[in-house]
Amino acid sequence: MNKAYDAIIVGAGVIGAPITYELSKKGYKTLSVDKRADAGEGSTAGSCAIVRAHYSTEDGVAFAYEGFKYWLDWENYLDHVVDEKGLARYMNTGSILLKSQGHKWQDVKKHYDAVGVKYEEWDNDKIVEQVPVLDLHEFWPVRRPEDPTFFDDPEKELEGGLFCPEGGYVNDPTLSAHNIMRAAEAKGAEFLFNAEVADIRSDGGKVQGITLADGTQIDAPVVVNCAGPHSYKINQMAEGVWEGCNIKTKALRHEVMYCPSPEDYDYIHDGYHQSDGDIGCYVRPESGNMFLIGSEDPDCDPQEWVDPDEFYAGRGGHGRDNQLTEEQWKAQCYRLGRRIPTLQVPNQPKGVVDLYDCSDDWIPVYDKSDLGGFYMAIGTSGNQYKNAPVVGAMMADLIDACEKGLNHDKEPFQFSMKYTGRNLDVGFFSRKREINYNSSFSVNG
Amino acid sequence: MKIYVCVKHVPDSAATITVKDKAEIEEGITFLMNPYDEHAVTEARRLKERFLESEVIVVCFSRPEAEGTLRSALAMGGDRGILVTTGHRHDPIMTARALKTAIAQDGQPDLILTGRESIDSEGMQTMFRLAHLFNMPAATNVVKIEITGNNALATCEKEAGAREILKLGMPCVLAAGKGLNIPRYPTFPDIVKARKKEINIIDVEKLDIPEPTSRVERVHLTPVVEKRIPKEITGTTTSIAEQIVTILKDEARVI
Repeated sequence: MNKAYDAIIVGAGVIGAPITYELSKKGYKTLSVDKRADAGEGSTAGSCAIVRAHYSTEDGVAFAYEGFKYWLDWENYLDHVVDEKGLARYMNTGSILLKSQGHKWQDVKKHYDAVGVKYEEWDNDKIVEQVPVLDLHEFWPVRRPEDPTFFDDPEKELEGGLFCPEGGYVNDPTLSAHNIMRAAEAKGAEFLFNAEVADIRSDGGKVQGITLADGTQIDAPVVVNCAGPHSYKINQMAEGVWEGCNIKTKALRHEVMYCPSPEDYDYIHDGYHQSDGDIGCYVRPESGNMFLIGSEDPDCDPQEWVDPDEFYAGRGGHGRDNQLTEEQWKAQCYRLGRRIPTLQVPNQPKGVVDLYDCSDDWIPVYDKSDLGGFYMAIGTSGNQYKNAPVVGAMMADLIDACEKGLNHDKEPFQFSMKYTGRNLDVGFFSRKREINYNSSFSVNG
Repeated sequence: MKIYVCVKHVPDSAATITVKDKAEIEEGITFLMNPYDEHAVTEARRLKERFLESEVIVVCFSRPEAEGTLRSALAMGGDRGILVTTGHRHDPIMTARALKTAIAQDGQPDLILTGRESIDSEGMQTMFRLAHLFNMPAATNVVKIEITGNNALATCEKEAGAREILKLGMPCVLAAGKGLNIPRYPTFPDIVKARKKEINIIDVEKLDIPEPTSRVERVHLTPVVEKRIPKEITGTTTSIAEQIVTILKDEARVI
């Protein structure tokens, strides 16, 4: 006899864990399986764990703003569970979005007003008063250091920014997933690690369960794909699922750098999260008074779509494997070096290389599938970390409604967000949608 | 004062090194300035701030790709660079001869700075051979340099944890240890300035270098596979902290 559950969740990262948690709270007997040794050790571990509200769509802003409330109330969200590793901490630094040609900030401002996001408009003087190391010249368009015009002197100045007092980052993304796992276990959830899924079994258009690489079969009428960069491989294992998606997912290689803050600037204590489309970078403080420098995927940068198994095994060669490259180190650090002229850039690259699970339009797929009982929370594209607790609640509601007979494709499920009081049409995240050209097609979402 | 700083183009210590043809490493990885040499360049810049008339010339004997490393050294404070190019790897005998010839052709050194060793071959020979070729005194693992008249006072750290102060007649060769300074990495304005600094590129074949009668050849290179054995430290918070300090002091010897 195979072991049987009400739902199997594939992936115990920051997206899978909250779905498990919320399903368990609804009374589902759940099993989470993950090929890694513990929760949040896959691409979650490489997340910058930024919490910010600016998105390219109003629903995107509302969704993120709803997420803030969970991070601000983390212990309550976890129902005061004890995690022997301690709790992840949300660092509410505040968040600056510089007004630039690299962001549709006018739209963001409109969305902030519509959703009720708290923000202030800062002029350049105010920004420099708060962040004295900045040079607010305009460097647009984003270029690479290999391009001689990268070094041209700027002429114009930027025109201020939008500051959100709410916003920041979570200090340990792996730990945050681990916290949610412990909270889920307290509600009866089970987790199985070092377990790689080899097949999704189905019969008569209904999912039956999973088969692990060691041959173990586990049964459940509900299977949820939260496999991060491996999501497309899991979809391909499930009959008709990959073919039934108009929006597909792929794994995109991405580098994030750590560069020491200028000595006279206490970035770790005084600094903000900052999105700077003018140089194609976002930054947040990192322990050791470092700048964590992420890339906003400017058009001039190469995009490397890779096989996740090859990548994590360190194969594929320069620029495709899991090692930082000198070119990208220089690109990201020099770009920030223009904005912060006192930033010292070491010769040795330091940072993180990991994968995005990226959809065709960089907006995730939160949906059912063409296979009965098989659901997806995929394509989280490097911009859904902050939304993870809300995704958990939304996916659990969606799954429950569909299992009780809702035809979500015909009458899209409306998710009620408890903090912002708004309704979200989950059909926005449909696998059947056409590519959403309002998207930023980047990490900005 | 004319200060020559010898820098080496080495593989990034964080890169995954793979061996090819038994004795060579796969070169499709990041190469950068030898970390000890960063201290040497930083010290040269510091000395130039004290002795304003000084010139800092950075010298490298390597593949043409090493221009990037030389450019980094110029961004860190070098005034100009000399790159002696070669197609393959050389032993310390040849390296010292190439560096000596290039420096002597360029000018009269008052001080030559190097790193105490390179992190790839770890030979610790080149600076002594270079000093010998110039008939100069040398000191290694230098953690403090003072220039008084025609002498250099070099504080050197010994393996056993002792320190000695050596007086060397100038010109001399001093090899930087880690304690010498905190490397002063370039800012963006430094990088912009370095782009315009002169690098004299010379093919090693064009230098009239006397052929050594003997040489060192690496015939085999084997990576050592490090075994990581995790150990759980238990006890009260205080006792755990004490145990960690003991490990860092006695086993890892990093504090």
